[in-house]
Amino acid sequence: MRTLRPIRRTLAVALAAGALLTASACGSDDLSSDDSSGSGDKGTVRLASQNFDEAVLVTTMYQQVLENAGYTVPDPTFVDTRDVYMAKFPGDFDVVPEYVAGIGDYLNIDQNGEDAKPVTTNDTDESLQAMQPLLDKAGITLLDPSPAASQNAFFVTKDYSEQNGVTKLSDLQGKSITLAAPPDCKGRSDCEGGLTGVYGIDIAKILPLGYATPETYKSVLDGESQLGETGTLDGTLDDQGLVLLEDDKGIQPAQNLVPAVSSDFLKDNPDVADPLNSLMAALDNQTLGELIAQVTVDRAKPEDVAKDFLQSKGLID
Amino acid sequence: MSLFGDVVRYLLDGSHWHGDLGLLPLLGQQLLLSVTALVIALLVALPLASWLGHIGRGGFLAVSVSNIGRAVPTLALLAILVRAEWPGTAYLGPYGRAGVATLLALALFALPPLITQTYVALREVPAETKEAAVGLGMSGWQLFVRVELPLALPLVLSGVRLALVQVWATATIAALVAGPGLGNVITDGFSNQRYSEGVAGAVVVAVVALALEIAGALLARTLAPDPLRGETTERAVGVTA
Repeated sequence: MRTLRPIRRTLAVALAAGALLTASACGSDDLSSDDSSGSGDKGTVRLASQNFDEAVLVTTMYQQVLENAGYTVPDPTFVDTRDVYMAKFPGDFDVVPEYVAGIGDYLNIDQNGEDAKPVTTNDTDESLQAMQPLLDKAGITLLDPSPAASQNAFFVTKDYSEQNGVTKLSDLQGKSITLAAPPDCKGRSDCEGGLTGVYGIDIAKILPLGYATPETYKSVLDGESQLGETGTLDGTLDDQGLVLLEDDKGIQPAQNLVPAVSSDFLKDNPDVADPLNSLMAALDNQTLGELIAQVTVDRAKPEDVAKDFLQSKGLID
Repeated sequence: MSLFGDVVRYLLDGSHWHGDLGLLPLLGQQLLLSVTALVIALLVALPLASWLGHIGRGGFLAVSVSNIGRAVPTLALLAILVRAEWPGTAYLGPYGRAGVATLLALALFALPPLITQTYVALREVPAETKEAAVGLGMSGWQLFVRVELPLALPLVLSGVRLALVQVWATATIAALVAGPGLGNVITDGFSNQRYSEGVAGAVVVAVVALALEIAGALLARTLAPDPLRGETTERAVGVTA
């Protein structure tokens, strides 16, 4: 037995190597025939995104339009924060549903250090231009941005809005406010920094309770805080007796939805662009806000909401 | 530019230690939070586990129940308490936002090591020693105070030390409900991509945990000198002489 073992092992290795060779040979055959015919399996697209309802819904739409275009799309990897998947993108992931300023600011800090000056602004085209060198360096290509923009936004209770005549952020100028927001709010130009610096609001205290979390809603509803942070696509506010304030001085950077694709992957698979660009064009704030509310409020499954919407728009069969 | 260098620089910068949200006041807040939670847990665990250990009954149940408690994530417990009608997010003096909920969650977290160690410590007192004490005419209370407690003390104190270090390190979760403590530095750093700050906060927590461990060991030595150390050698010498 013992003498046989090394021989067996060698055999096994040889067999495995042979199998690999055959497999890779088959693979290249398949690819070339696919490229010519343009039908069947075009290869695998690996998606990653963040795991809040909006991102999950949009990522599911990516998955469905790409599958419809003939790609194999394994279930996306959902993680808590952007830096988790960005550590492996490009590389382990090929396409990532992103936001213009979101990825721009991330790459800026990633490449230029913790104190880098923000490159993004309220203007989408301007931001995209400023980001280009960062994207080139990271090996990432952005497809067409959507008209839908998931920007940070601030809400108060309807009662507070009526009693104090507050409908836009500039109405809060000079007022002393407790703010319920994510822990990254302090100093940020799209959060505490902009509210104090641009709007002249006195932010007495920030409670780090998160972005559009039940804790943040509760804190504002309880009157512990007056202002809470959520997104422009939040479809749950009305039912809770909360109302968004208009960002009338434009402190929010352009957060249009945009597909971020590994540049190498895009070169090899140029066909991923069309379905994703069509998807981006079909989305706007109102449409997406309503779809997200179906998930967050009505607890519908993201797959079902995505499928109904994409079919109604003729984006999938 | 390395993370390690950034962390060291962060820690060496005096301005990060002082001020309203500096490391020192946050450290103080967390110490107060941890010690208070530990005291609450001690008030529950010590009498209960001592009594059970003394009568030698019900210990299995107490240890099992508190060990099941060990399996409940403190973070989940805190989340439930904060959303409940009571204690909710009520402020409590220096314990800040959701102070009651945080103290309660941490105290429950401290119970398992305290109950287990105390119960086991009392059960480990040799039966013949106890029989001898009873033979000398000691009452149950005298047996407990003069014999069982002194012999059990080193193990009980090691449980207290264990609980303190665990509670200290876990007390960082207070920051997740906008409460006090060094957790604020950690969440603030990581959520702002200022990793040096986040790691620096974690380093301070770890260093203080070690310091507490060592201080606890020294204190235990003073309170309950090991009867087998020092005296034993003398006695051994006596025997051979």
